[in-house]
Amino acid sequence: MSAHPVAGQKFVLAEFATGEALVDACYKVREKGFKDVDTHSPYPLHHGDEALGLGRSKVPLIALCGGLTGMFGGYGMMVWMNAINWPLNVGGRPPHSAPAFIPITFELTVLLASLSIFFGLMALMKLPQPYHAVFDLEGFRSACNDGFWMSVISPTDETGALVTELKGLGGTQVSVVEEQTE
Amino acid sequence: MSEQGALATSAITADEQLETLPLILGKHDNTTLTQSLYAHVWAKPTRGWLMLMGLAGIGVGMMGLALTITVARGIGMWGNNIPVAWAFGIVNFVWWIGIGHAGTLISAILFLFQQKWRTAINRFSEAMTIFAVMCAGLFPLFHTGRPWFAYFMFPYPSDTMMWPQFKSPLVWDVFAVSTYFTVSLLFWFLGLIPDLAGLRDGSKSKVARVVYGLLAMGWRGSGRHWHNYKVAYLLLAGLSTPLVVSVHTIVSFDFAVALLPGWHTTIFPPYFVAGAVFSGFAMVVTWMVPARHFLGLKHVITERHLENMNKIILATGLLVTYGYMMEHFIAWYSGNDLEWFVFKNRATGPYAPVYMLMLFCNCVTPNIFWFKAARRSIPVMWIASILVNIGMWCERFVIIITSLHRDFLPSNWIVYKPTWVDWTLYIGTIGFFSFLFLLFMKFLPAVAVSEVKELNHELSHDLDGHAPALSHGGL
Repeated sequence: MSAHPVAGQKFVLAEFATGEALVDACYKVREKGFKDVDTHSPYPLHHGDEALGLGRSKVPLIALCGGLTGMFGGYGMMVWMNAINWPLNVGGRPPHSAPAFIPITFELTVLLASLSIFFGLMALMKLPQPYHAVFDLEGFRSACNDGFWMSVISPTDETGALVTELKGLGGTQVSVVEEQTE
Repeated sequence: MSEQGALATSAITADEQLETLPLILGKHDNTTLTQSLYAHVWAKPTRGWLMLMGLAGIGVGMMGLALTITVARGIGMWGNNIPVAWAFGIVNFVWWIGIGHAGTLISAILFLFQQKWRTAINRFSEAMTIFAVMCAGLFPLFHTGRPWFAYFMFPYPSDTMMWPQFKSPLVWDVFAVSTYFTVSLLFWFLGLIPDLAGLRDGSKSKVARVVYGLLAMGWRGSGRHWHNYKVAYLLLAGLSTPLVVSVHTIVSFDFAVALLPGWHTTIFPPYFVAGAVFSGFAMVVTWMVPARHFLGLKHVITERHLENMNKIILATGLLVTYGYMMEHFIAWYSGNDLEWFVFKNRATGPYAPVYMLMLFCNCVTPNIFWFKAARRSIPVMWIASILVNIGMWCERFVIIITSLHRDFLPSNWIVYKPTWVDWTLYIGTIGFFSFLFLLFMKFLPAVAVSEVKELNHELSHDLDGHAPALSHGGL
């Protein structure tokens, strides 16, 4: 899906009876050469990722980067604060006391990894995005509860063909909505 | 009939015997699940709910009163003093934080083990985790005496040029509890996003649509979103699993790292974690039993869920019992007179009644769940779960107070008594917890609706001809 909402961009929406029918239709629409296809369903669809031709998710890489930052940053912070900047002698223990630094290193690894997963995910999903053209269609309200919808960004001058195509695949409530933002 | 056919038949009967009770009662589709699972959010507040809110509100008032007095008159309003420097504040802190652990266990560990029965109860237990950690955090915060200086505990560049003492378990605790709270909140909110969108799109009132719409942040069930969402959910579950073990381990370090007889034992970390899960599951049962009845969730939180939770209570109860036995055995076997004195004093000293109550509640009560009839009986499990919560509170009381009140110098010995402020604050936090929980059960779906729909779909279609894995988070 395109990075930013484009004014006048047209989405063709169609509802399908089941998740399986939606996944099958997705394969077929993509075979016809339409690229910007998306599904909308109340729960993740079985084989939905393959039907949309999505590759590996980037979330694990983001998590790894966050976790490593927390690990090295946390340990480094404690060494610098307790051993270099202000060497602290408590009960004769060495200022740089590796075993005693492990618990906080672990906690900060988990904390930074989790924060980067959450905010990285938000960035990948481009959420929060309260307005989206698909919400213009009242019937689309079923997509997060019990409906299985497909949305395709219509290439210029092919909207008519796309509507016919989706109707032919068994889509109901086939509609065209337009992006309103500037 | 061929041998193969006979084998197949026997395999099916074996499966049926293992899964006698269904996870979702009756036949449902996405529409009926949407209606029945959001019904309690859309319904007008009932008189019962308002009455309970009033009761919980009194608790919140008590908490406010106790905290105001603690701040205005000083920490001396609490009963703890040398030698019992830690008392109610820390007992309640450990108790509350332990209760929170069941939520993470259900949402993360059971998820990684692909236990499908977790799906209907995870949202509920995660909410419990968050509220319990909020209650827990209050105690050490106010135990500092000057809570407005609590930020001293975090490493920040100040003009005193001082840094926290990172070799202290108390500082580890600050990081463990704040990380635990943050990660639990993120995990819970991430799970809520699809359901908030469901509420936005299904609600009738304009206000509900706007509020849930803002919280759902524009979620539209996009396949491209689910693609990353599933992975993020799995990874957060994977991170929460060692986190929950680390949190109570670090809480136990607060004691185990000290050189005090009764605290200085290596068994503390695993035994604290087992105790935490034990009390947490008990608290889930205590709340789940009435909630599934009043919220109309009996079709997705079935007897099988309750029975499984009771099995975990039994297992962790036995682990806790083993912990007690080992602790006592090592105290005797070590030949250390001071250590052995503490354990004899626990059983025969002034706090013997609390000790006996602890043994009864934690070691005897869970054994009732060896019997299937007890595991499936609502009154039995409800009473047992409350006894376990009492027992686990007594355990923390016994560990903390009996180890302190008779220290090395007999002229120091005292019998600690909590003040009315201690009791008011403790009961107040129970009210505060209930208050938040009742709000949660009114305004947010108590069951992870999108996950239950997926489970329902998978139970009704055996996808690909083999037992399907939940794809919420599956790679």
